[in-house]
Amino acid sequence: MKLFLSMVFLGVAAVSLAHAAGTDGEISFEYHRYEELRKALVSVWLQCPTITRIYTIGESFEGREMLVLEMTDNPGTHEPGEPEFKYIANMHGNEAVGRELLIYLAQYLCNQYQQGNETIIDLVHNTRIHLMPSMNPDGFEKAASQVMSQHDTPGEIKDWFVGRSNAQGVDLNRNFPDLDRIIYVNEREGGANNHLLQNMKKAVDENTKLAPESKAVIHWIMDIPFVLSANLHGGDVVANYPYDETRTGSTHEYSASPDDVMFKSLARAYSIYNPVMSDQHRAPCRKTDDDTSFKEGITNGGAWYSVPGGMQDFNYLSSNCFEITLELSCDKFPSEDSLKLYWEQNRNSLVNYIEQVHRGVKGFVRDHQGNPISNATISVEGIDHDLTTAKDGDYWRLLAPGNFKVAASAPGYLTVIKKVAVAYSPATRVDFELESLMERKEEEREELMDWWKMMSETLNF
Amino acid sequence: MASRCVGLLLLFQLLALNAVSHISAFPTPTAPSDDKTLYNRQLTEEKPLQEQMVEADSVKAAVQSAESRRPTAAKDTESQQDSDDLTVLKSLADSQKSQDSAMAPVKKDDQYIPDESDSTKSRRLAEDYDSTKTGMDDDPESFRQVDGTMLTAEDIVQKIANKIYEEDDRGVFDRIVSKLLKLGLITDGQADTLEYQVAEALQDLITKNAKKNEIDDVESNDQEIRGEQDDQGSDVNLDTWEPPRRRYNDDEEDEAEDEDEIEDEVDRDVEEDGADAADGALDKDAAGGNEVSPEDGLQDLQYFPNFYRLLRSLNSEKDSQERETLITIMKTLIDFVKMMVKYGTITPEEGVSYLENLDAMIAMQTKNKLGKSLLPDFIGPNGKLLDEDDNTKAEAAKMQKEYENLKDSTKEEQPSSETNTPGKSEAYLEAIRKNIEWLKKHNKEEGKDDYDLSKLKDFMDQQVDSYIDKGIIARDEGDTIKRIYGSL
Repeated sequence: MKLFLSMVFLGVAAVSLAHAAGTDGEISFEYHRYEELRKALVSVWLQCPTITRIYTIGESFEGREMLVLEMTDNPGTHEPGEPEFKYIANMHGNEAVGRELLIYLAQYLCNQYQQGNETIIDLVHNTRIHLMPSMNPDGFEKAASQVMSQHDTPGEIKDWFVGRSNAQGVDLNRNFPDLDRIIYVNEREGGANNHLLQNMKKAVDENTKLAPESKAVIHWIMDIPFVLSANLHGGDVVANYPYDETRTGSTHEYSASPDDVMFKSLARAYSIYNPVMSDQHRAPCRKTDDDTSFKEGITNGGAWYSVPGGMQDFNYLSSNCFEITLELSCDKFPSEDSLKLYWEQNRNSLVNYIEQVHRGVKGFVRDHQGNPISNATISVEGIDHDLTTAKDGDYWRLLAPGNFKVAASAPGYLTVIKKVAVAYSPATRVDFELESLMERKEEEREELMDWWKMMSETLNF
Repeated sequence: MASRCVGLLLLFQLLALNAVSHISAFPTPTAPSDDKTLYNRQLTEEKPLQEQMVEADSVKAAVQSAESRRPTAAKDTESQQDSDDLTVLKSLADSQKSQDSAMAPVKKDDQYIPDESDSTKSRRLAEDYDSTKTGMDDDPESFRQVDGTMLTAEDIVQKIANKIYEEDDRGVFDRIVSKLLKLGLITDGQADTLEYQVAEALQDLITKNAKKNEIDDVESNDQEIRGEQDDQGSDVNLDTWEPPRRRYNDDEEDEAEDEDEIEDEVDRDVEEDGADAADGALDKDAAGGNEVSPEDGLQDLQYFPNFYRLLRSLNSEKDSQERETLITIMKTLIDFVKMMVKYGTITPEEGVSYLENLDAMIAMQTKNKLGKSLLPDFIGPNGKLLDEDDNTKAEAAKMQKEYENLKDSTKEEQPSSETNTPGKSEAYLEAIRKNIEWLKKHNKEEGKDDYDLSKLKDFMDQQVDSYIDKGIIARDEGDTIKRIYGSL
């Protein structure tokens, strides 16, 4: 007991020490280098071990682990029917705000969960949230060293780009397979409307142009059936949605995806709680910036400027995941004392965006014996973008409010189409039971026999 | 759409059965008789096509139905549903085949023995209707079997073929076909396939009759066995029937290929588990009229070393039937697995692993059940194989561990260069404290007993270890954490 008391005392001391930096309850707002990042995540895990788990999706070029903290009621497994969500930040190493925000978010969710915040508790129980504070830890170290050395001379960073790319000099957000090009061809000439990278693992492993960070993320996307995602950047303040690459190749052109309506809704769901982002009269970050495409804090990617090989579109066109890009700060690497402000600007948006995963229709696709049918196709009439069911036959189809016809189909089975009225939230549950062709053949066979009986009797050859 | 067709079918049945009663499902409540003819025509336009499709080549049917089952169900063309029905009726045909073969000898003898056990069947009505039928042998135009159960298209083909064979007159076929065409029951295309099918059946008849003289007629027994077999899995039989045909009857139109015909016969008989047939087959083998079977048949089986050894051990004459049986069973299984993979019921990997397990099981069961010791060198390779597997696995595990150790050692260098150890353990301490506090509070609220500290400690230890392995936390950090938990 004494030992415990003394530990408590120490703990209190530690907490009061932490108060030296800016705090929000229990969060300390400071920059985290790689070691500190790791420590922070481990602390969150130690504090909330029953709802969190740390894992790594691979190593960066210089051998730093790409750490992910997952938060859910049963960490470590996919629960059938529970949607998967991810936040990825700092893919450009010098865009630091997102990285910090995700660390704070992890701490925040853990604290709030333990303090009985019902919204957070529900969210954690019904979602599997993955947080990757840094996709490019090597880049960050470069950028951070540069910034730290600037402590004497206030003002801007010398180089807007130091630390942006990975240790090999690869811009990770131009490094993903360019599926936009393929989809644009398919739109004209017909072809698949999703899951464009067949033989994924092989193509990825044998692709020498992919950076290890990109490769790791691609494998991650293939392994976990993510439903919704966001990619955190800096350098401007807007929520950006697909497609990023223009159809005609011009530098600015609105390039709508089949889910344009839904994406606008998702982007707005983030921007609306960020007072800076949603400020219509906000001055652009730099006088020379062209933000004519920004509307209510959101913009279509192609309309802003064309980006080929980005991670956002890759998610949408290779998997079931919808991803948007969040630009969160005019300054890519602002001073440490502004971090608290950024947190306050983004906290509600970050939580609200996670909640968007519980929209549209969701359910299971099974056969008549109740067995799940994985990799069945879920298509919505009028939206040229099909999804597939995951291993347990579960699917989540994000949709804006309206009336839809949703079809479930699989090879060897008869397609079933259902009409659904979708509200804003929560998701409407629609299950499918598919009859296999064998079963149908059995039925038809029975009826055929009866018919033949009839025919021969009646017509009397 | 298949469902629409089925729906129409149902309606027609109801109509036919209850000529007087109105059915509310009708779109327009007109007089029943009018509707009857209307629906008659609709049904006849659709159904007979399907019926006649059954008579198309069985191999083509298997291929077609496999292709047409792809999930472009939106483009549900008639051919798709036709080929579906095709295979349906094919399987139906298989189950009817037993009765069919019973028919052949009966017909041969030009005797029409009414089956009195079926006097209770309602067929009586139609039979009475046409007085010309009684006493006559198979009228190719009577589409009914002896015992009154309904015929399949397969039977029709057989009947026609028989008739042609007997009368040695191709005109029979023309007569029948023209009648069918007149009635609008088949199209010209269907007539062609029917002709093809009849030609085949005729061939079979010829060769069967040739064999009749050599093989004892134990087919009545075999029918029962075959009937059981079919009940178990008509689809399976369907497929096993086809591949042999496919394999051995590449050129089905060549009547001169008696070897193939015999082979086909052999396979069919083997399906029946017919002992005598197998003997006959072996005779044929010995006679050298058949080089195809051992090699082709066992091609697939080369991937099953244990099974192959087993077969070889059954080389004696008296084991020949067992041998044939085993081969057939094995081929059936392989084809079944292939089919399941084709239709996506299982993944190719699962199919392969299933078959591999099967082979291993055969080895085991052979040792256990057959009682006979497989050749000594069997156990050698088998035993060795297993050991080798284990060894390689152990090796792999060893390598893995070494690699991980290497990894860990490089990782440990990094954190020790940092000087934050006291700060770290404080933070960790703090975090753990918060957790414990929360647990206490949480359990109190839930009304549970005090949380199980030891369980938590074990869990955390385990997690810490796995995190150290993965490089997420350093070894010294892990030790710190364990120490903290230990001191609670």
